[in-house]
Amino acid sequence: MIFREVEDRDLIAKARQGDVEAYNLLVSRWEKRIFNYLLRLVSNREDALDISQDTFLKAYQNLRKLDDPARFSAWLFRIAHNEAYSLLRRRKPDNELIGEPRPKDFGGRMLPMELSLAVESALKRLSEDQREAVLLKVYQGFKFDEMAVILDCPVSTVKSRLYTALDLLKTTLAPAVFAKARGVS
Amino acid sequence: MSCKLEDARPDWKAYTLGELDAPARREAEAHAAACSACQEEAAGWRVTLDAMAVLKEEELPRRIAFVSDKVFEPTWWQRLTQGFLRPSFAAAGVIAAAILVHAFVRPAGAPVNLSPQMSASAIEERITAQVTAQVAERLRAEMAAAVNTAVTKAVADTEKRDDQRTASLLAATERRYADAADYLNKQVTHMYALNTGAGVR
Repeated sequence: MIFREVEDRDLIAKARQGDVEAYNLLVSRWEKRIFNYLLRLVSNREDALDISQDTFLKAYQNLRKLDDPARFSAWLFRIAHNEAYSLLRRRKPDNELIGEPRPKDFGGRMLPMELSLAVESALKRLSEDQREAVLLKVYQGFKFDEMAVILDCPVSTVKSRLYTALDLLKTTLAPAVFAKARGVS
Repeated sequence: MSCKLEDARPDWKAYTLGELDAPARREAEAHAAACSACQEEAAGWRVTLDAMAVLKEEELPRRIAFVSDKVFEPTWWQRLTQGFLRPSFAAAGVIAAAILVHAFVRPAGAPVNLSPQMSASAIEERITAQVTAQVAERLRAEMAAAVNTAVTKAVADTEKRDDQRTASLLAATERRYADAADYLNKQVTHMYALNTGAGVR
């Protein structure tokens, strides 16, 4: 991980000096994570791809404004967050989760695909703030202080959103998760 | 079953998420060893997070356009403001010179085929190619004319020299022929005189 961070720093330094290939390498290194983060956030593949594109374009245009290259990932996710929320705000009426169906009764033994669908459904039932906190922590592995930078809020707010989301997820997934853990058929 | 520490019990969410530092982690584990309620809570969070991990990352449907792609190219005004005094200024000079040369050498009936959608570099290439072709064509024509003139002059000079030489040779031959005829005539006259005795005695 330390080696990887050093490599990113090096690539950023080169990209700042106009080395396009260095930035291309950064894009190829981060595009999958950014895309998946955005995909779970906006729940639409084309939108996620478009926002990913915009994120890397804005990052390239503003690379000189990045104060600490060691915090490139948080900075990049911050840009992605802003782009995603810009889109979500524009499409708010279409994006309400009121009509989201409740998860089925996952009482029996679950196949990985079924469990995957159950998790996806449970994530969609969270508020946008809560879901994003889960995505950044559970799926992207950011620390609380990095999440605070990305979400532009205090660490206490980050923890509050995340813990509330985890409580909801645990409750929602309990039937499925514990049936799987016990091997109930 | 409940934990006797109540509100002071370890933060099992933070523990499972890896947010506790080493001392807090050891303390939590020591407590859980003797607390079945906390063991159950920690296990519950572990199972929940393991279940969430089944959601796999998806592959991108297509690659993100890199900065070398068209989409990342700066707009015309960015190029203008960022690169005005850089080497591209020299390139602009070359383009201007090419346009001037082109205007000078371009025949009236041969307009450059440009469309508003073409980029500056494409226009430069198109103009440069056309100017180069026309200059080359003109050079070829001028070279051919010069060569023709030189050859014609050389041929004329040669023919003139040949004519003069022929005339000179002819005159010399005529002179030799006249001399020989005169000599022969004198010899015949002399022999006739000897044979007839006329005027010889």
